[in-house]
Amino acid sequence: MARRWQCLEVGCGEVVTAGSDDELVEAANAHVHEAHGSYELEEMILAVAEDVPEGQKA
Amino acid sequence: MTTFAELRPVETRFRLDPEIMAGPIYRKYEKATRKIWDAKQLDYEPDRADWERMTDGQRQGIATITVRFEAGEQEVTDELLPMLAAAHALGRFDWVMFLSTFMLEEARHSEFFTLWHARVPELHSPEDKAHYWPLRDHTVDPSGRFTVGEPVYEGLPKYGKKLTAAVESGDEAAIEGAFVQFATLYCTWVEGVLTMPSYEIVIDTTELWNVLPTLRQGFKNILGDEGRHITFGTQATRILIEKNTAYEALAHDVIDEYRGNAVGMLEYQRNVPGLDLEKYQSQKARHYLNRCREMGVTPDQSLVDQILDPEIDFVVGVEAG
Repeated sequence: MARRWQCLEVGCGEVVTAGSDDELVEAANAHVHEAHGSYELEEMILAVAEDVPEGQKA
Repeated sequence: MTTFAELRPVETRFRLDPEIMAGPIYRKYEKATRKIWDAKQLDYEPDRADWERMTDGQRQGIATITVRFEAGEQEVTDELLPMLAAAHALGRFDWVMFLSTFMLEEARHSEFFTLWHARVPELHSPEDKAHYWPLRDHTVDPSGRFTVGEPVYEGLPKYGKKLTAAVESGDEAAIEGAFVQFATLYCTWVEGVLTMPSYEIVIDTTELWNVLPTLRQGFKNILGDEGRHITFGTQATRILIEKNTAYEALAHDVIDEYRGNAVGMLEYQRNVPGLDLEKYQSQKARHYLNRCREMGVTPDQSLVDQILDPEIDFVVGVEAG
């Protein structure tokens, strides 16, 4: 099942989806680095990652 | 006469079962045991060579932060015991297991900074280190709206005593409420919001100056550990708040008590040319919103607005712990 994480940087709200937790951590951190010059800890990304329900666009 | 075996049936002497081992807190314990690192194994020589060629201003800027981290890590190592006692009192063995790694890691962080100070800037005694600790008398909000407190040195002992008293009372609701406050203060607010920009400032600064690779590596190792501590605190708090929604107000009260520490700008940001000042304030807001999401509580929007308000202009010391 695909996994989803949303960036809470003020004024952002980017939603990142990926096929696994490992890919999600990488994709989320790529976003935080490129968009905000920062990074998010793996634990914190996984703590709030959500499953994308079947049938919903990943 | 009642036998001990009747008072304490054998079945109650086993705590770890498949259900606990499949749970999120036990998995954090497992991860912690896989991620052990040893401060003594790091090579401090490159940092020593860099220190010799750094300017006095650069040395002062770095030591201002590292001495606070050394003291903060030691304070936390010494003040965490009430959390462990509370986890025991609440019968949450997976929390006890994880917290044992939590304390070990705080001790390791203490050791790292002590070794780094001895081997790089050759700061050995408390007096050597105190020399680099900036005074607080220039960190007052001139508008008088905000006060800057001491969440590590005043807050942790205070809320630790409250938690210890609750444990001794045996009142489950009192223990849970006091645990929410202690975990919110330390895991959410100190580790999860106030300290986070300090890590990034050190990492950004040492990259900007191309110096102190071992200090940078140590900070990255510590951050990996802190991520587990923060999400343990927010997850445990969420579990307790889901059980009793009245605990959410207790969490907000603790954050509000030390609100000024997040609203002010870190004095270190002002001292290092080339840093993006807005970045670190935005980070604090992001971290606060993330911690609220993890705890399942409603963020205080006025706090976010104050952190980001450029009109609010006062500095606070680095929080570290």
